[in-house]
Amino acid sequence: MMDVARDVLDTRVVDRNGREMGRVDGILLDHQTGRPLRLSAIVIGPAALGDRLHPAVGRIVRRIEQRFGLDRNRPALIDFADVDSIDDKVRLRLTIGETAVDAVEQRLRAWVSRLPGAQ
Amino acid sequence: MRKIFNLALGIVTSIGGFVEVGSISTSVQAGAEFGFSLLWAVAAATLFLAALAEMAGRVAAVSRQSMAAAVRERFGFHFQIVPLSAELVIDTLLLTAELGGAAIAVKMLTGIDFEWWVLPVGVLGWLVLWFGNFSVIEDGIGLLGMVTLSFVVAAWRLHPDPGQVVRGFAPSVPHHDVTRYAFLTVSIVGATVSPYLLNFYSSGAIEEKWSQQDLWINRSTAWLGMGFGSTVAMGCLVTAAIVFGPQHLKVESYEQAAQMFVPVYGRWAVALFAVSLGIGCFGAAVEIALNAGYVLGQSLGWTWGIDRKRRDVSRFVTAFSVVLVLAVAIAALGFDPLRVTLISTALTVVIMPLVVLPFLVLVNDEEYVGRHTSGPFGNGILATLTILGALMAIVVIPLEVFGG
Repeated sequence: MMDVARDVLDTRVVDRNGREMGRVDGILLDHQTGRPLRLSAIVIGPAALGDRLHPAVGRIVRRIEQRFGLDRNRPALIDFADVDSIDDKVRLRLTIGETAVDAVEQRLRAWVSRLPGAQ
Repeated sequence: MRKIFNLALGIVTSIGGFVEVGSISTSVQAGAEFGFSLLWAVAAATLFLAALAEMAGRVAAVSRQSMAAAVRERFGFHFQIVPLSAELVIDTLLLTAELGGAAIAVKMLTGIDFEWWVLPVGVLGWLVLWFGNFSVIEDGIGLLGMVTLSFVVAAWRLHPDPGQVVRGFAPSVPHHDVTRYAFLTVSIVGATVSPYLLNFYSSGAIEEKWSQQDLWINRSTAWLGMGFGSTVAMGCLVTAAIVFGPQHLKVESYEQAAQMFVPVYGRWAVALFAVSLGIGCFGAAVEIALNAGYVLGQSLGWTWGIDRKRRDVSRFVTAFSVVLVLAVAIAALGFDPLRVTLISTALTVVIMPLVVLPFLVLVNDEEYVGRHTSGPFGNGILATLTILGALMAIVVIPLEVFGG
């Protein structure tokens, strides 16, 4: 049996092509009466980390992301059905582009790329 | 052959990169106020640093994970947020102090107030980070830092009494100012064993793609590089002890500290001290800022690496740029660089258990180091020293700050 806290939470996530996507910042559990808890999704994004510390911290992170127009589909919820395997990394069947995981990196890239020597 | 060259370069750059604002200021004050009697603290702190650096390199070479990344994975974010926040706060303070130290060095050379130089030094540091790669930053700064061997040459030429120097390596309690002595001991340990150094070292192992075959390079670099490097800090302490000791001077500024070179280097004294201080501080400032990017990127799971195209690691480059701007802003508010240095190095010892203890668990976890686990004896000593150091720091820092 899998120990969710040890084997999934905080583990590195890679996409279908082996590209680093970050770490599992949170998990979503599905609870139905009379059935055991089921891992329904993994969550990637600083707001999920904030939630883990305190809901207020999560709210602050979401507000900051909203201010920068980054709140769409964030933090990224990845259906557990899209997880291919779990070893020392969580390997997905998706590519990073199919999720909102890279939104902050892309927003900053637009600024960083304007500087000489960035390419 | 290439590996031997890399090893030699690693050792030489460790010597050149050993001293910075913290080790210079603590060694000068220790020498001026207590003669050779705190040499043991420099030696003990160096052994402590070398042992931890070797472990950091071992975890990185075997698990291909840096210290911060391994701590997040092994202990979870709930635990990691505490050492991560503490390290970022202390690193920012230390970065401010390093920028201040480099700015004072320029002031000594130009005569223009140091406040005017903090921003240009910060901009120059950012340019090195933006356009340089790991080898330029690590090796270039380390090689330039060889000028700090001027501290060893100065000590040698002042002909210290060998018997007294040897006695300095035996821990002792002074007859006067016990609190100050304890505070300087804590500060020397904090200046030597900075958490940024450990994570920077393990990140370097990842940047240079060390593997299990490189464990001997790691061992040699950690023990020989740090060992030889500490002779620079010892040279600084011995020189200060011989020049300032008989006058019972309390060194309160870097300009005053520069005078210790006068008996040896004459009219070149101030310039040579300034260049040594400037290069030591500038190199450390670049490494601390870079480490802020490393530690945030590795903890939060970003793509990171100073050898990558900047546009591909936008969050990482933004992180080190923001920390650099923050440190320049704190410096612009006005501060006493020497005081900030001493406080931040002493605080480092307070947070040491948060950094070291989880690390000792990692180096005994086969998932991270395979069969290269550490023995219980060494671990026990390191854990005990860490906790004792922190307790001592908690007692002596308030006494020093509030003048008890």
